Amino acid sequence: MKRRLLEILACPMCKHHPLELKVFDEKQEIEEGVLMCEGCGRWYPIIETIPHMLPDDLREEIEDKDFLKKWKKELPKRVLAKGKPFNLEE
Amino acid sequence: MKDENLRKIVRKKYSKIAKEESSCCGVQSTCECGDTPEAKSKKIGYTEEELSSIPKGANMGLGCGNPVALASLKEGEVVLDLGSGGGFDAFLAAKRVGEHGKVIGVDMTPEMLEKARANAKKGKFKNVEFRLGEIENLPVADNSVDIIISNCVINLSPDKERVFNEAHRVLRDGGRVMISDIVLLEKLPDFLKNSVEALTGCVAGAMLKDDYIGTIKKAGFKDISTVSESVYPIGSLISDPKVKSAIRKYKISREQVRNYAKKVVSIKLSGIK
Repeated sequence: MKRRLLEILACPMCKHHPLELKVFDEKQEIEEGVLMCEGCGRWYPIIETIPHMLPDDLREEIEDKDFLKKWKKELPKRVLAKGKPFNLEE
Repeated sequence: MKDENLRKIVRKKYSKIAKEESSCCGVQSTCECGDTPEAKSKKIGYTEEELSSIPKGANMGLGCGNPVALASLKEGEVVLDLGSGGGFDAFLAAKRVGEHGKVIGVDMTPEMLEKARANAKKGKFKNVEFRLGEIENLPVADNSVDIIISNCVINLSPDKERVFNEAHRVLRDGGRVMISDIVLLEKLPDFLKNSVEALTGCVAGAMLKDDYIGTIKKAGFKDISTVSESVYPIGSLISDPKVKSAIRKYKISREQVRNYAKKVVSIKLSGIK
């Protein structure tokens, strides 16, 4: 993902905008990171430069949880504990 | 068919096409076997120059073509491509809008996005970006887009009303939709409609033309006009195994199937928010 294109990104569920970005790995582009929605508490992973902005029913719980585990140290607590649609505590 | 199933089938089918790197015979019912994606695209109306300017592999020959929409793009515009697939139209659009413009492609098939991303790298595009997302739930801010393009995708959606509502939401006032899609001039019989092959080849998910235009109107678009309309090249429908077996089962003549095929048209529409 390119930072320049972040401005028009919104939450696909509640349409909140702008989304909060946290970058884990950046080269020419953001390789891995997370986009967080203040509006509804959902989070969306950026994997191999692509923001995964799917609605809840198309998301894969196992893959999402693996992502949370992979970046556990970097992710804000609220995502790990209460992030929607999946988190590591509920 | 339940909507959920339909979405899953479409996703699965297109992920397979992305992996196989060829559309031909992947989408049996609409595919003129033997034609390369490039040959097919030339028939649809893309120029040689356009085709050669795009990374190889981006053109999967899956669309019904939307060169008119691309021709209308201006420098600096923000373009949203619904169902961007391998990225073909998105890359052409990126060339048109230049470095001050941007193009965002949304597709729900991870394998397609993977391809698009690889193609973007090959083509060194700085103003194109792809997102895994669903056109019924666009990950895009309100009033942020100048033009929405979409090439033979919306017919696959089980909830077209929602797609157009979303399109309307993200466009700025005065922004435009320029879409090409498959519509029907007459209802198709169930044996064609329910064939999964036919669906992913754009046919069974298609709406009646008047209903389709009505849906766009209902979403709030003005000045909706049909830019062009032509019979979709559906010659190989008759060789679809599912259609073949239906022909036997329901005792329908091949002639009848051919007549139905003429009711499937490729249409290019534009509208303003």
